[in-house]
Amino acid sequence: MALALEMKGITKYFSSTDVQANDNVNLTVEAGEVLALVGENGAGKTTLMNILYGLIKPDSGEIFINGEKVQIGHPDDAIKNGIGMVHQHFKLVPSFTVAQNIILGMEPNKAGFLSPKEENKVVKELADKFNLPVDPKAQIRDLPVGMQQRVEILKVLLREAKILILDEPTAVLTPQEVKELMDVVRQLAKMGYSVIFITHKLIEVMEVADKVSVMRAGKNVGNKKVSDTNIPDLARMMVGREVLLRVKKDTIQRGKPVFEAKDVSVSDVHGLAAISHVSFNVHEGEIVGLAGVSGNGQTELVEVISGMRPLDGGNLYLNEQDITQANVRDRRNAGVAHIPEDRMEVGLNLQTNLDENLIISRYNQSEFSKFGFLLGKSISRFAETVVKSFSIAAAKPGEDISMLSGGNLQKVVVGRELSGQPSFIIANQPTRGLDVGSIEFVHKTLIEERDRGAGVLLVSVELEEIMALADRILVLFRGQIQGELDAKTATEEEVGILMAGGKLSDLQTNQAKSGKESK
Amino acid sequence: MKNKKLQKILDAILIPVLAILSGLVLMGIMIALTGKPVWESYGVLFSKAFGCEKASNCAIVTTLERATPIILTGLSAVVAFRSGLFSIGQEGQYLMASIAAGWLGYNIHLPNGVHQSVILVACMAVGAAYGFIPGVLKVKLGVNELLSTIVLNSIATLIIEYMVQFPMRADVSTTAHSPIIDETAQLPIFMPGSKWGVGFIIAVVAVILVFIYLWKTKSGYEQRMAGQSKRFALYGGVPSDKAAIRAMIISGALAGLAGAVEVMGVHRRIMTGFSTGLGFDGVTAAILGQTHPFGVFIVAILFAGLKLGAQLGLQLKLGIPRELGATIIGFIILFVAASKFYEGAIDSVRSWFTKSKKVKAKGGGD
Repeated sequence: MALALEMKGITKYFSSTDVQANDNVNLTVEAGEVLALVGENGAGKTTLMNILYGLIKPDSGEIFINGEKVQIGHPDDAIKNGIGMVHQHFKLVPSFTVAQNIILGMEPNKAGFLSPKEENKVVKELADKFNLPVDPKAQIRDLPVGMQQRVEILKVLLREAKILILDEPTAVLTPQEVKELMDVVRQLAKMGYSVIFITHKLIEVMEVADKVSVMRAGKNVGNKKVSDTNIPDLARMMVGREVLLRVKKDTIQRGKPVFEAKDVSVSDVHGLAAISHVSFNVHEGEIVGLAGVSGNGQTELVEVISGMRPLDGGNLYLNEQDITQANVRDRRNAGVAHIPEDRMEVGLNLQTNLDENLIISRYNQSEFSKFGFLLGKSISRFAETVVKSFSIAAAKPGEDISMLSGGNLQKVVVGRELSGQPSFIIANQPTRGLDVGSIEFVHKTLIEERDRGAGVLLVSVELEEIMALADRILVLFRGQIQGELDAKTATEEEVGILMAGGKLSDLQTNQAKSGKESK
Repeated sequence: MKNKKLQKILDAILIPVLAILSGLVLMGIMIALTGKPVWESYGVLFSKAFGCEKASNCAIVTTLERATPIILTGLSAVVAFRSGLFSIGQEGQYLMASIAAGWLGYNIHLPNGVHQSVILVACMAVGAAYGFIPGVLKVKLGVNELLSTIVLNSIATLIIEYMVQFPMRADVSTTAHSPIIDETAQLPIFMPGSKWGVGFIIAVVAVILVFIYLWKTKSGYEQRMAGQSKRFALYGGVPSDKAAIRAMIISGALAGLAGAVEVMGVHRRIMTGFSTGLGFDGVTAAILGQTHPFGVFIVAILFAGLKLGAQLGLQLKLGIPRELGATIIGFIILFVAASKFYEGAIDSVRSWFTKSKKVKAKGGGD
């Protein structure tokens, strides 16, 4: 079959950061094929795709579309050549309707006047053609993330793209939405479209792709058929060493309760109830996994526990002390550590250097300031210790952190939070957007903390992660605890049904039914 | 390590320097359009700004005198901006403190040394109080500090006009002004023939203190973190509201100091039309100076020099309107705002350099 796309010897060097982002990279995609492009954060996947889409000019290399050499110097050239890109962060106008967003820039008009009717019709036809139902009149800001992504895909299809680049499309989706997206991708491939699927979740590669290209440190380290490879193999290629996909965990005896929430209720930013009457506790030497589809009150609950948001009712206890009214600083001084879900905006200040990021929760301690003055020497000594003990190779004391990759940024957050032996750790989506190597690190570290005797509240929308780490599983659904499971005996199915708002008894009756039928 | 630091400093000053150069080139073009000699104008501009024709009559001395209040209002803006507050209330704070300085200068009588100190402290307090108002409004009621400081500036301009016209008016002359302040209230001057004096020393000390405060103290750290990322500060347990109010108080006190120095060291009284935009010059100096105390110091001097050179040199010597000086400053600000234009150029020059270096290194190896 003819190659829909061939990239040959692509090389790009960023002088400002001294990074060889792409080093003689080759890549081919056939029509009707799904190519997964995998690699750790900072391996050069995004640079390569930005070159293909005309956002970055390569130093050298050639691009062929359907066997013909093309010059792509601008996204317009890419679109002309049938290349479409769905960015990780959607580029939609929230206050516009679906149709307006899809048609933006190519509106059918009569003598300069817009025709919403015509627009809606075009979008409706497009959606029907690809079997991607959308409501053309809905406003983007009212749509769930999965729907917004569908709008992005339609936008690209309307511009007659034959090669679709999806940049980490699943990073922001719920498990259900991921499944739907996979179906869409397979269907597009069947219709003869080529899809380049950027991801670092290997399980998705196995599920959706025909072929996989692995990148590491700007180089193409492997091109394989998915049927010829497996997850451990891909992980090894990505990271360049053997990776534990599921970290080892010994059973240990848990201690006394370290944290307790009693009848806690919280409102969200709009004043609506986000958490209502939730009670649970976390013991020493225990990881409690809080599972649930995102948007079921996890963000609010974590913010209340860490002290960033006031609660409407209920009480919080840390080591039997009432901390309901304590502020963030008091809680942190009392031994609470917090790995937030948003490391770029909340967990770190990217505008300042490593040292100042590391002391945010402890600059008041006598070790780091005296008579109102910061003790620069002990701060940089502390930074060196954190860098060393958490092996954050890329970060240097006194230097800016804005250039670090996602994995290294998370290491900085984890290093800061887990230095100083906290007694209670809140870990909210601690591995979101991380590559396998970094996930391994975070998981290992959390288990070490548990073994040391800390209580850990692990909030995650990744069922895999909960199953791998937790000793006890709580499932959050619509702001309430839908059920509690012992991780040793719990199955993914049981957690799944609770996440969807069902009851364990539903599962049992289902099983009983199917049991009868099979007889 | 040292190299990296040097690199950082070079990076920080590169864009302002390029902007100033572009502004000067544009000035040359405009002078050429008026038909005056271009090269001579540059010479006159610089000699009248930074030159030293006679030991007793140095232009640079006057430039430093004119730079003094701009340095202080610039520092005031730096403290506010670094704390995430876009306060442009320097003008108002400066004027309110000037009233206080003028009034205390002839209404209380204290020995030399004590009198000046009392006035300096009082003026800082007045400025701080006038800065506290938008700070509290922002923290307690969420009032945008940009809007509230604009309003407070107008109020202060009207108050000083009223004070000069009525309660503090000295005599019935055509232009209203207050009585000359006592000699014990005046700041000593270094060189006769100019007003360059202790005020400049105060400004230099303030530059150093503001630098230490912002980067070496706990309070400064809190303010910067809260200013750069509100969510991060909240997450880390930084008391952001306190930090914001503190920032506005310090910012006000620095602008107040500018008023004190200007009245005690230069004018010795307040008069009608006292508001000449020194507060806004400070805002500009803060932006051009990369919101850094040292940057403000350099830019304020350049600024004062350009103004003086345009006034004494271009206007008096060559008959070119002095407004041209202000125009150049306007252009320079525009060029800084358009810094993206330079970034692209700088980047391509850099990558060309590193490439040729790499090629050389490789060639040497073979």
